[in-house]
Amino acid sequence: MRHLKAWLGIGLTAATLVAAAAAPWLARHDPLRADFAQSLRPPGTPGHVLGTDQLGRDLLARVLHGARLALFIGACTVLITAVGGGLLGLVAGFAERWPSAVLMRIADVQLSFPFILLAMTINAITGLGLRNIILSLSAAGWVVYARVVRGEVLSVKQRDYVQAAAALGMSRARVLFRHVLPNVAPSIVVVASLQFSQFIVAEAAISFLGFGVQPPTPAWGSMLSESRDFLYVAWWLAAFPGVALALTALGVNLLGDWLRDTLDPKLRV
Amino acid sequence: MRAYVLSRLAQTALVVVLSLTAVFGMVRLSGDPVLLFMPMDIQAKDVNEFRQRLGFNDPLAVQYARFMGGAVRGDFGESLRYRSDALGLVLERLPATLLLGGTALGLTLVLAIPLGVVSAVHRDSPFDHAATVATVLGQATPGFWLGLMLIYLFSVQLRWLPTGGTGTLAHLVMPSVVLAAFFAARIARLTRSAVLEVLGEDYVLTARAKGLAETRVIAKHALRNSAIPIVTLAGLEAGQLLGGAVITETIFAWPGLGRLTVQALLNRDFPVVLAAVFLISVMYTLINLAVDLLYGWLDPRVRLRA
Repeated sequence: MRHLKAWLGIGLTAATLVAAAAAPWLARHDPLRADFAQSLRPPGTPGHVLGTDQLGRDLLARVLHGARLALFIGACTVLITAVGGGLLGLVAGFAERWPSAVLMRIADVQLSFPFILLAMTINAITGLGLRNIILSLSAAGWVVYARVVRGEVLSVKQRDYVQAAAALGMSRARVLFRHVLPNVAPSIVVVASLQFSQFIVAEAAISFLGFGVQPPTPAWGSMLSESRDFLYVAWWLAAFPGVALALTALGVNLLGDWLRDTLDPKLRV
Repeated sequence: MRAYVLSRLAQTALVVVLSLTAVFGMVRLSGDPVLLFMPMDIQAKDVNEFRQRLGFNDPLAVQYARFMGGAVRGDFGESLRYRSDALGLVLERLPATLLLGGTALGLTLVLAIPLGVVSAVHRDSPFDHAATVATVLGQATPGFWLGLMLIYLFSVQLRWLPTGGTGTLAHLVMPSVVLAAFFAARIARLTRSAVLEVLGEDYVLTARAKGLAETRVIAKHALRNSAIPIVTLAGLEAGQLLGGAVITETIFAWPGLGRLTVQALLNRDFPVVLAAVFLISVMYTLINLAVDLLYGWLDPRVRLRA
């Protein structure tokens, strides 16, 4: 069962990556080109495997290009939050005293507010669009890394090899990056993999509500939002982008579970 | 105990003040809400008059002091759109959200805990495998998409349930199921692993050895001891339900706090946004406090310190 889940995770994630990378070759159509003569065709129409939307745009092309966007946003936010939150956690765990206290209070404040609502509020205020959604998700998501890394650093710091390195006269920065960081890295990888699907789903939800990536850009969330007006006549517009989103989230989740079981079984996120 | 609760309430106040400050700062730094709200053909002098009247011309520090002074008295100003008291609007929508969230939480616990316990007790049985598949799928399925699919199935195709709105019990079914689905999956998985951990303990062996009925062993000895992580997660999730409610309420046109917040954000109706932020962060921190107090009751070894 466990191996099955791991392989399913790896397979689904790989399939998503391939679909995103090969999108222009897998779907011959331009995801943005409208063709009103071909609007709202059901799946299986010759030339349009998944059918077309209200403007006659090819759904397969839009779903595949949506995968590019989702993975791009997920990768950017995970990178920014892992580096930013991880560094803050390292410093807070190592320096203790006031930087630690200040950082953890900020984290508490942020955690006293639902993640998705926070990201959405930041977006509504700073403006919509691709760059801002990456920034707002990052601003809302760094806390988890900072907390986990700080906790790990506090325990690693007490180990003999760190004490020995310090006793040998190593600079604090060197101890931090050569001896503490490598021992904390597995936790960062595990948190990143578990956060990745959360970011993708959050982005879709925010775009769905109208605060994220804007139409006509083919983002799964905004595609699902548009599909609501056609639910009575075109079920496929609501079904396929959602299936793509759920499968991607499923693959990354399973991969994350496997990484946690392998690298850091005690970690609870 | 009393000192602990008092210090936690003081922390709650601090958290609320800081989150209001953050949102106030972001709103004021992001440009002029007045301009966005005015019709396109308005005269510059009218804009200025409106701004003067709402106090946007004063120094930021003065605006902040006035805002905080008002917030302490529960006065967040008038809604720019509805021309009525912002906090009043928000409070008016609160019961609908509490009803939805409460139903979803109840549904979550009723589904998830038995599922997790049975999975753990009958580990590796077909039931356990089926439950694992269901929970893994439940966690990966985005709530708003599940909502769309349920609307398609039960409203469009079968015509059993209304697509949205409020009023009857039928209106409550789909929103609460959607809101509960994700959390039920998480809590079922956690219950399973927490119970599995406890089933290997000596006191469970002792309870069995002295001839207790298996149901009693599970209910009295295993479940109670695995309750702490479950309650922790359920508490955190109860807070996240507020975030989930934002999306669910929008899909099903449920007239609650979440939908009001989304509309206020779309309209840039910032007094309402600030009042909603205030109420949500107060509720969130109070839920967390309640969870911490529950620890002491569940596990008398836990000593709460101020």
